[in-house]
Amino acid sequence: MITELLTRLRFLIFRKGQDELDEELQFHLEQSVLAKVAMGMTAEEARRQALIEFGGMEQTREQCHEQRPGHWLDTVAQDVRYALRGFRRDAVFTITVIATLALAIGATTAVFSVVDRILFRPLPFAHDDRLVSVGLVQSLEKQEFTLGGFFYDWRDNQKPFEAIASQGTMLHACDLIENNPAQLNCIHAQAGFLPLLGISPVLGRNFLPEEDRPDGPRVVLISYGLWMNHYNRDPGILNRLIDVDGTSARVIGVLPKDFQLPSLQAPDLMFPMALNETLERQGKPGTPMRTFARLRPGLSLAQASAELNPLFVHTRDTIIPAPIRKDFHLSIRSLRDLETKDVRLTAWILLGAVFAVLLIACANVTSLMMARSAARERELAVRSALGASRGRLIQQSLIEAGLLSLAGTATGLALAAGLLRVFLALAPSGIPFLSRSSLDLRIALFTAFVSLVCGVIFGLLPALQTPRATALSVRAEQTRSHTTLRHTLVVAQIAISMILLSSAALLLRSFQNMLQQPLGMESQGVLTAQIALPGFRYNSGQKKMEFYLQLEASLRRLPGIRAVSFTDSLPPGGWNSGFRFSDLAVAGRPLLVPGTGGTVTTRLVTPDYFRALNIPIVRGRSFAETERGSSAHEVILSRLLAAKLFPGEDPLGKTVQLGHTVSWSTVVGMAEDVKNNGLTEQSNPEVYALRRNAAEDWGVRAPILIVDSVQPPATIAPWLRSQIAGIDPTVPVEMETLRQNVNKLANRQRFETALVSFFAFCGLLLAVVGLYGVISFVAAQRTQEIGIRMALGATRMNVLLLIAGEGVRLIVLGGILGLAAALAAARLLRSLLYNVGPYDPKAYVAVTLLLVLVALIATLVPARAAMRVEPVVALRNE
Amino acid sequence: MHGWGIALRIQQVSKEVLQVGQGSLYPALHRLEYKGWIRSTWGNSENNRRAKFYELTATGRKQLKTELETWERLSTAIALVLGGKAEASI
Repeated sequence: MITELLTRLRFLIFRKGQDELDEELQFHLEQSVLAKVAMGMTAEEARRQALIEFGGMEQTREQCHEQRPGHWLDTVAQDVRYALRGFRRDAVFTITVIATLALAIGATTAVFSVVDRILFRPLPFAHDDRLVSVGLVQSLEKQEFTLGGFFYDWRDNQKPFEAIASQGTMLHACDLIENNPAQLNCIHAQAGFLPLLGISPVLGRNFLPEEDRPDGPRVVLISYGLWMNHYNRDPGILNRLIDVDGTSARVIGVLPKDFQLPSLQAPDLMFPMALNETLERQGKPGTPMRTFARLRPGLSLAQASAELNPLFVHTRDTIIPAPIRKDFHLSIRSLRDLETKDVRLTAWILLGAVFAVLLIACANVTSLMMARSAARERELAVRSALGASRGRLIQQSLIEAGLLSLAGTATGLALAAGLLRVFLALAPSGIPFLSRSSLDLRIALFTAFVSLVCGVIFGLLPALQTPRATALSVRAEQTRSHTTLRHTLVVAQIAISMILLSSAALLLRSFQNMLQQPLGMESQGVLTAQIALPGFRYNSGQKKMEFYLQLEASLRRLPGIRAVSFTDSLPPGGWNSGFRFSDLAVAGRPLLVPGTGGTVTTRLVTPDYFRALNIPIVRGRSFAETERGSSAHEVILSRLLAAKLFPGEDPLGKTVQLGHTVSWSTVVGMAEDVKNNGLTEQSNPEVYALRRNAAEDWGVRAPILIVDSVQPPATIAPWLRSQIAGIDPTVPVEMETLRQNVNKLANRQRFETALVSFFAFCGLLLAVVGLYGVISFVAAQRTQEIGIRMALGATRMNVLLLIAGEGVRLIVLGGILGLAAALAAARLLRSLLYNVGPYDPKAYVAVTLLLVLVALIATLVPARAAMRVEPVVALRNE
Repeated sequence: MHGWGIALRIQQVSKEVLQVGQGSLYPALHRLEYKGWIRSTWGNSENNRRAKFYELTATGRKQLKTELETWERLSTAIALVLGGKAEASI
């Protein structure tokens, strides 16, 4: 084996000259002649016979040459040179193919890199397929939660899970107090939480059970990011005491890099939950938390749910009071479902769109390669006649296809990198894993391979057929089957781009509807700000209130300020406070049936709220500034709530109670409805309560400041900042216009719409290129026929119709097929659409018109060129 | 042995049954040489002309043995099949 290799290598390096071979053959011939002369032939006759006996001298020389080990490489190099020369000659063809391949490879790679993590890649936890989120859901909280009373009962008696553990309900702000203070995100978790996820600290250790008790030592785990940026990767961080919110905690470990909670949030600090188990078990609801568990192997979600249900019913009936018991349900969801529920459909749709573009691109490459090889049929025939073997012709085709796909892949990868960057810039924050996406080389190679196969198969077809002798004499004619195949490809391209375009049109209309709907308020020129007062300094409602009231007074003194108000939440979406409609009580009426009527939104606002957002008060009056100091409880109902509670009656002056525990309030006004449950959901009834100058109204949740001004927000923002700094220069402020806040709610739809539209546009472009290619090819092929027709008296109009007619047939057929497919596919989009049906006629008419128009142009341009052909020239055309 | 000699020898040994196309002998020889099964040297022929002589190498000899064995197996098998056929037809 090795000796053989060495021999080959030797011959590769010391090539034998042509002379030696000639000498050897010459010797053979001479011997042959000598032998024949000896047999009595004349010298001349002997030479003739010897040559005949030997066969082709030149062929033998060629064949000997081909035996050389390096011969194959020589032919490859030769073919590459030849292919490159050919590409230079057919620059338009080459650029079109490379651009098509690049677009397909780039788009597919970029999209796949994004959706891969959402749809296919395992979560970064051990046994991620068995991890579930388990807990209760009810009408006000759709994400699973548990309460201390439930958790301990379940932990001790459950059967379906191998392990179960909880974290706190949400991240909360906390302050690191040291020379270099910072506001951080903190979370509490049980000692069993990290082991459940299969996460262990990269440095140090997890919580010990005795640290997860109320009287245990105070310890903390810090994030990798904090360790790196704040502590410069100091290995001595372990056992250091850090001061958080005024109490010190011992650092016992560093969390792994990129660690995220199942909610996809990244905490900076993690404390033990340290719950008092005996206290939690006393039959009261207890502390709320989010609970996760690992299923026993082989157990399905439904089985687990069925196994846990009796326990759930038992705990619920002991803990939850009877009237609201029915509103609580058990829910077990896979972790992936929890993380990606909203975006899974989007991901599939993107994948579908990009796959459609890939199909169109493949059809284009195929079609282009076929056109080129058909045009070169004569060249192949010539080469074959000159002695090129079939293998050699195939090798040549493969090398051409390979070179094209190499160039396409390289360009495509560059495009993919660019596209991914655009996606990341466009993408809303709500799409999980997106910020961590990176280019996926596997899929780039896969796409390159698919496109290459398309090109190779059809590029090879002509080389595989024995070149027909007729191809040499007659003008090369397209075989019928090739024409049919190319026509089919164009029809398919048009049909697929029809699907893409109509999906894009539907999403676009839905997006428009969403943004242009009346919100019931005026967001123009309104600036909002959220101020994170450090909890350890502003440790009472009184202190917070003083800060905010001082700020309000100083802002009112600024010129051009129309209204300044504080609220606990902002319409139209995001977090807001609420309660069950059935918990509303009206004085003098029986209680409502528990668990009916859905949710009511509440907002705790200062009187200027309605002026700031320009919400009309349709009956009664707004809150008055003077009432802020009084102890009277007054509320304003939305029109929807008033109609629901007091149909046909005047709501003014009625007394209502918002929930069982709060005091009775008088209705003083009715406000117009405002969109308050996101942009796409049905709005809830709403009630506004007056935020009075009392400590209890300011303590719980940081209020949001709303400033309405005649000046543009960009002018107001620095004033606002300096006013805040004037009171306390250390507090962090986050500012945003209300317009931005509204726009942010549509981010996901904007992302979907932009991407699908982009792919629809690419698809259309490619399909049009394909159509144009076919028609101009047909026109060029029929030049002679056109010349004859014109000589026999056909007008230019006849010629135009002849050529264009072919295109129109393809367009109509593709359009009809595409329309049917699009209507069928639109059902999948239904849940993404807002205020527009999947069969919206306007969208389909617009798309059909666009497609037909563009396709007609692609047909008419080559058809017009055919029409302008001079008959004499056309007739002489070969 | 030089190429001409090999061509003559094949004709003689096969009792003129095998007429090797003289032209295709040389590509075959070259291929064997590139594979390292034979080796060539320039020398003088019987009539004192410069000629290229071929001889088997050690690997060539080994290869020849395996090829012969394969051939024998094959020809035995063919003989068996043909013989079996003849019996069946009786």
